[in-house]
Formats: sequence, structure tokens, C-alpha cells
Amino acid sequence: MEIYICVGSSCHLKGSYNIIHTFQELINQYDLKDKVELKASFCLGRCTDGVATKINGEFVDHVSPENAVAVFHEHVLKPLGME
Amino acid sequence: MRYFIEPGYVSLNKKGEELCGDRVETIYHDGTMTTVLADGMGSGVKANILSTLTSKIISTIMASGLSIQDCVETVAQTLPICKVRQVAYSTFTILQIGVTGDAYMVQFDNPLCVLLRNGKHYDYPVEVNVVDGKTIYETRMKVELGDVFVMFSDGVPHAGIGITMNLGWQQENVIKQLEEQYSPDDSAKSTAAKLADVANALYLGEPGDDTTVAVMKVREKQTVSIMFGPPSNSEDDIPVTKKFMETDGIKIVSGGTTSKIVSRYLGKEVRTCLDYIDPKIPPYGMMDGVDLVSEGVLTLGHVMEMSNMIVSQNNTDLSWLQKKDGASIIAKYLFEYATDVNFFVGRAMNPAHQNPNLPLDLSIKLKIVEVLSKNLELMGKRVNVEYH
Repeated sequence: MEIYICVGSSCHLKGSYNIIHTFQELINQYDLKDKVELKASFCLGRCTDGVATKINGEFVDHVSPENAVAVFHEHVLKPLGME
Repeated sequence: MRYFIEPGYVSLNKKGEELCGDRVETIYHDGTMTTVLADGMGSGVKANILSTLTSKIISTIMASGLSIQDCVETVAQTLPICKVRQVAYSTFTILQIGVTGDAYMVQFDNPLCVLLRNGKHYDYPVEVNVVDGKTIYETRMKVELGDVFVMFSDGVPHAGIGITMNLGWQQENVIKQLEEQYSPDDSAKSTAAKLADVANALYLGEPGDDTTVAVMKVREKQTVSIMFGPPSNSEDDIPVTKKFMETDGIKIVSGGTTSKIVSRYLGKEVRTCLDYIDPKIPPYGMMDGVDLVSEGVLTLGHVMEMSNMIVSQNNTDLSWLQKKDGASIIAKYLFEYATDVNFFVGRAMNPAHQNPNLPLDLSIKLKIVEVLSKNLELMGKRVNVEYH
């Protein structure tokens, strides 16, 4: 599974750094290094709906440092059957 | 071969003084770069006035092609006379280097200029003349690529007198330091900053005299081009990208949408890395065909702030050269590597940036380009900005 997190200007200001950090921790915590690849992207073309992410081929918008854990559970752990 | 002559200097004020009594003037005129380093008698306001007059008069007269005799006479007749010492006095070093490699240097009472050739001290020819009762050293020579001329005021060889060293640093040790610190990639400004920093350390951070280092480096043209923002009319995407890609030298793509446009044009993927070296600066990326891809406004905003720091005449902080974040890498390309800089600035609006809570709108981008290009020009670089 690939996860792209936008680090373009407006997404960066909306908290990309913290989201990447949270996702990295969760990947370690659930030991998903072999299953999940986390990548940065400069622009996912969805600047007004930031922070924009693309998880497993699907756009997931409005991710924030506050809901990052919930998004990870819903869009990463669930599809992997780990929830 | 046509050379690019890069000037750069650093001045440290004598402890407790608001003004520096040393003055560096650089002007480019008719294919010749002229740098004048003047050191006015005394310190503070008086010295500052003397050295400012001296350097301004000389750089103006020399640039218009008049002789050194005219310079010295004019300076002698113009300078106000010091009440304490009953003389009008300012030392000076004048160095002119033409793009074809002809150098002409005149030295009066400053420590002798040090020429580094291939990183080693090189003895240049000197002719001693007396003009108006003053002993003047004149040098006429051909420069070679990579030559570094280091001029300094007596605050440098005197560094540490009575503090860390009985006799001060002294000329031969200054030369030794220059040879040891030499790196072929150092810009003129970095060379000056490194030397001034050591002098400052010998003074234990409290210079006992105005301390100035002025450097001229003989380089070849090295171009860096930055594409910053998408063109306002998307029909221009391809022509502008094509023009950008046809430039020589280093190519930097700055901005999310901009990187997509270039990626589409080249048919290459942007590879980003996740490493946030500095949380304030978004990570950078790579793409085949260009040298660096970065986020736009925030990264270049940082580069602009760094340029403000670097052009200040008393900055000796070179720690940014070791940093690996996107802004520092771009800064190195622009401030150290480049002699010529091209900006391709796109004026498209990004709807997400029209949010008053975000410091991203178009006017900020244009301001960054304006300040950055002004500072690059102050660093002696040739800057070309086009808006699309």
C-alpha cells in the first residue's frame, strides 16, 4: 500500500510535517514497514482541501494533525484487516 | 576567454563603534570590476567620512578611466583635515580586473593584498612609485581562472594585539590562514567571511580596530535558473518550460504545480524524500533532467531571508553552508555557485493560496523575487527576471 502526503505550500502550513510524523510512528507501532510505503508529494492538485493525501490510490482530503490517527485507522488499518 | 569577476566583503566595526572606518566600494563599468578598500584615519564617524569620500572618489574617477595621479590629487585636495593630527588621510587599495583578465592594482598604505593562485600565495609583480609625496605600489598583470585577490585593512594583521598575541596576527600568518582555509568552491564573500571570523576570534569577539576583508575572485560564468510558479496563462506552460530547460547550468524547479508542469513536459517523475531536516522547510525532491525540485513560496521565502543575512556587511556566519534542507541547498547554488541567475516567474493564482490566513498569496511570491534578486545583485551576480 502506498501513502502519499502532500508537502506543497498550503498543505505544509496545514500540518504535513506532523501528519508524516504521526503516520511514521503508527507504521512502526503496527509493524507495517513491509506493507506500507509512505511518500511525500509536492502537489496532489487539491490545495483547497488540504492536507491532501492519497492512500491506496484514493484521495483522502482534509487530513489534519488532529484527525491523523483516525484517518490512519480508517484508511490504512481497516483495509489491511488490522482493525 | 571572458571571466566573471566576483566581489565580496565583510567589515567588522571596532568594539563600541556604530560606524565602520573602513569602506569598500565596488563598481562594474565597461567590462571592468573595480573594488576600492579605504581605511580612514581614526575610528567612528570621522574615519567613516574619510574612507567613504576616498573610496567614492576613487571608484568614480577610476571607473571613468582617469589616471591614478588624478585620483590621488583629488583625494588629497578633498579630504577634510583632521584637527588632532593636522593631516587628511585615508589608506586605500584599488583593484580593477577586466573581463578579459587584465588586472591593475594600486596600493597605498594598506597591508599588501594577498593573491592566491591554485590556493597558494603568489608573488605578483610590484612597481613602486611616488605620487604627490606618497609611496604607491602599482601592479599590472594578467589574471588566471580561480585567482583570489584578498585585500584587508590593518585590523586583520593587527588582530589580537595585546589580547591573544603580543604582536598581533601578522601578515605571514594571515597568508598561512588564507592558504589553509582555501577551498576552490568558496565564493568571494565566504572567503572574506572565513578570514574575518578568525580575526574576530583573535580579538575575542571585540575588535580593537575596524576589520575589513574584501575579496575579488576570478571565475567563469556559472548559471543557475529557477522556475518559480506556473505561468498565468496555462497555454504558456510548455513554451516557458522549454525555454527554462534550454538554459545552461543548474536548473531548480520551485513549487508544487510548477514541478507537475515540468514533470509532464519531461515525462519524468518527481522523487521526493520524507526527510524533514528542518520542520519549517518542506522536504525537497529530485527529477531527472533538473538539479532540484522544491516546494515554492515557503522554501524560497527562507532563501530570501538567508540572502538578507548574507548581504549584511558584518555577517561571518557560514553555518548555513553545512545545512542540508531545501532552502540551504538552493542558497548554496545561488549565493556560492552562481555568477548568473535567471528567474522564470509564473504569475498564476493558486485558489488555495487566496486564504488570508496563509502567507502564500501572489504578492508574497513577487516580493520574494524582488528582494532576492536585489540581494543577488548586491552580491555581484547578474540577475535576469522574466514574468509569465
